[in-house]
This record gives sequence, structure tokens and C-alpha cells, in this order.
Amino acid sequence: MGELGQACPEFLDTALTRPYPETVVLAVRGEIDTLTAPAFTAATEELLTASGEVLVMDLTDVRFLASSGLAVLITAAHRAEDRGIRLRLVITNRAVRRPLEITGTAALFDLHSDPESAYGGRD
Amino acid sequence: MSDLDSPSPADALDGASTVEVRTSASAALIPTIRAVASDLAARADFDLDAISDLRMAVDEACATLVDVAAPTSWLRCTFLVRPERIEVHAQVQTKHSEAVVSTDTFGWRVLQTLADDVTVHHDPGVDGAGPTVGIRLDKRSGDVMR
Repeated sequence: MGELGQACPEFLDTALTRPYPETVVLAVRGEIDTLTAPAFTAATEELLTASGEVLVMDLTDVRFLASSGLAVLITAAHRAEDRGIRLRLVITNRAVRRPLEITGTAALFDLHSDPESAYGGRD
Repeated sequence: MSDLDSPSPADALDGASTVEVRTSASAALIPTIRAVASDLAARADFDLDAISDLRMAVDEACATLVDVAAPTSWLRCTFLVRPERIEVHAQVQTKHSEAVVSTDTFGWRVLQTLADDVTVHHDPGVDGAGPTVGIRLDKRSGDVMR
């Protein structure tokens, strides 16, 4: 493994933080596709089971979103709804925005173009 | 026939430029194939949304096929770059002739949304050629009135 210059293609760079007591943020960096979808699912699970009133997925540095990743996002939106929470997404590039728009699923989320506006208190 | 007289092998008879990528049927190599798709679409002046759609569609087609591919076999993806559209033919050898690509999945519906036309073709293989499955999709370079 490593012939294409990437040590571990199944790896997805994720980080879970709590910038405010009630705000939990999952930041994801890289490409979400068949290989990295399991890592994305696991990280999403951590976000969805964390305590808090504001749940944010920061996808600023996601450079590609495959249908498997989109499916994880949609499931996450529904699970957040089960907690009475509308999942917030930070999206700054077309690779993530376009799939949400073209499949009509953008409406499931609270979309933000910068992290700070997403971190804010309850709606 | 002299090589100078015959059409370049890279050009189909109708003037399309052809790029063929063949890899091991492994999900780890799909990023490379979608990078080729992006590159061809960008050079063909596709608009940004169409480039994004094609890249995602090619990824979906390849991932779907790799899923039913025979171990240690190949994935072949051929791009025909025509004026204002790109035609993609992806194919794998399957584990057995009963291996089927389901079109009743979320992924397939996404693929139908991304591409302007998409079809799947199962070939049982004859005369010693193993069974294969192929997906063909077309994507136009930009928004047209639908």
C-alpha cells in the first residue's frame, strides 16, 4: 500500500470538537468515497451520539462526496431530527454543494458557508 | 495500410477523442479514474457543475462495478469526448455470470440524476470470454433546456 503516494486510502481525516458547551463539531477533510465511507460513518456516529443542542458537520475541506457519503449525510440528518436537532453543514465548495442540490437533499440540513455562523446558538 | 493513411487509433470514426483507462478492479484506484473524468471534462469546457456531476457519476459507475468484479480482475473505463458531451463506458469481469448490478439502489438513482443517460449491460460471455458487466453513461457539457 502506498504506490499512489497515500499511505492508507481508507483513512479520512476527522476531528470532533466542542467549541461551546452545547455545540459539537465534526470536521472532515479529504475525499468521501467507497473506501473512506466507513470511517465517515464512524465519525458521524460519534457526532450524533454526543450531547449538545447544536450539531455541526464542517465539510469545508471535503474535496469529493460520493453517493455513499451522501447516504451517510441523509441518514445523519434524520437521526439528528429524532433528537429534535437540525444538522448544520458547513459547505464551501461545489464538490459537496452540488450533490446536495442536484438530489434535492439540501433542504434536510441547515447550510452555512462559514464555521462561525454554524457554531452559533440554538435557532 | 500505411499508418499515415488510417485514422489515428485515438479517434473514433465520428471524430470523438478516446481515452481508455484500465486498472485493477479495486476501489483504491477509482480516485484516479475520476481524476481522469474531471480532467477531460474541464478540457472539453464543461461548466463547473457538469464537471462535478461527471466526476461523481464516473465514481458511482466504477464503484458499482468494482462491487461485482471478480477478484484480481480489471476495471476498464473508456471516455469518448464528443462536442458538448462525454460518453463513458465502464466495464468489469464479473465473479460469475449471475452477478447482477441492481438498479433499485440509492446509488443508481443518484447516477440517473447526475448523468443525462445511463444504462447497464450484463454479458454472460461467449466462446470462452468470461462474463462482464458494463455501465454506459452520457453527460452533456452544460445546461440545456430540458
